Amino acid sequence: MIGNDIIDLSLAKIESNWQRRGFLEKQFSATEQQLILGATNSFSLVWRFWSMKEAAYKVFIQQNEMRFFAPKNFACLLISEKEGMVFYKDQIFYTSSTVNQNYIFTLASYEKLTKAYSKFVMPEFIDSMIKIKLEDLTTFSATEIEQKKSKNGAPFYYFKDILLTRSCSISHHGNYGVFSLLYA
Amino acid sequence: MTRKELITSLKKIIKPYSQNQQAFKNISEGTDFINDLKINSANLVDIILDVEDEFGIEIDNESMEKMLSVKSAIDIIETKLAES
Repeated sequence: MIGNDIIDLSLAKIESNWQRRGFLEKQFSATEQQLILGATNSFSLVWRFWSMKEAAYKVFIQQNEMRFFAPKNFACLLISEKEGMVFYKDQIFYTSSTVNQNYIFTLASYEKLTKAYSKFVMPEFIDSMIKIKLEDLTTFSATEIEQKKSKNGAPFYYFKDILLTRSCSISHHGNYGVFSLLYA
Repeated sequence: MTRKELITSLKKIIKPYSQNQQAFKNISEGTDFINDLKINSANLVDIILDVEDEFGIEIDNESMEKMLSVKSAIDIIETKLAES
């Protein structure tokens, strides 16, 4: 299982004020808050943590009946510039984040080394581009590949009754769109 | 405060975060913040903070977990107001 999250940093700057009273306390543990406030670029770390939590949640939700909003319960650990881990209840997620001036992209997985394929695409073409990728992988025609969503919103791709994606995650924010998939 | 009044106050809070204006116009108790109004999940916390300020209540983590729809938000606000 995999989950991803993309944050357009120029939009995050406008949409959210991380310095708002209560904003950090509601979503981040005391340790995470300390790291954020002590960081050279606090803004960037706020959103890296957020994307790690969101990506891990998107892995978890694929096997959970109910959606929920509990970012604080997803505890982040930074391993390196890129690598991290997220802990939620008895679960461990491994994350890989790309952080630059423009965006933060995180891919989370139960596996340390995931074979997931990720691609950046224009937000409005995500669905079409997934179908084209699956056509390449399977030889089924893209026009006959269908998206179905689970009860809690996780996307799965099918050709007739054949499930093509073991796990698929879609994220878009501002100018950025991205999909990640594990082929069935 | 009646349930109807609560919804009116809540609508004012949600409006700036709502990305689907059509769904916002047709808002009802069944409306989902993320699936229907396309609210960015990072803005859910802003809604929670706005609700706390507006109603003078504190939304604990357990309640926050369920704040995904108009109905659950109203239920939580009603419960917290009754407790205070």
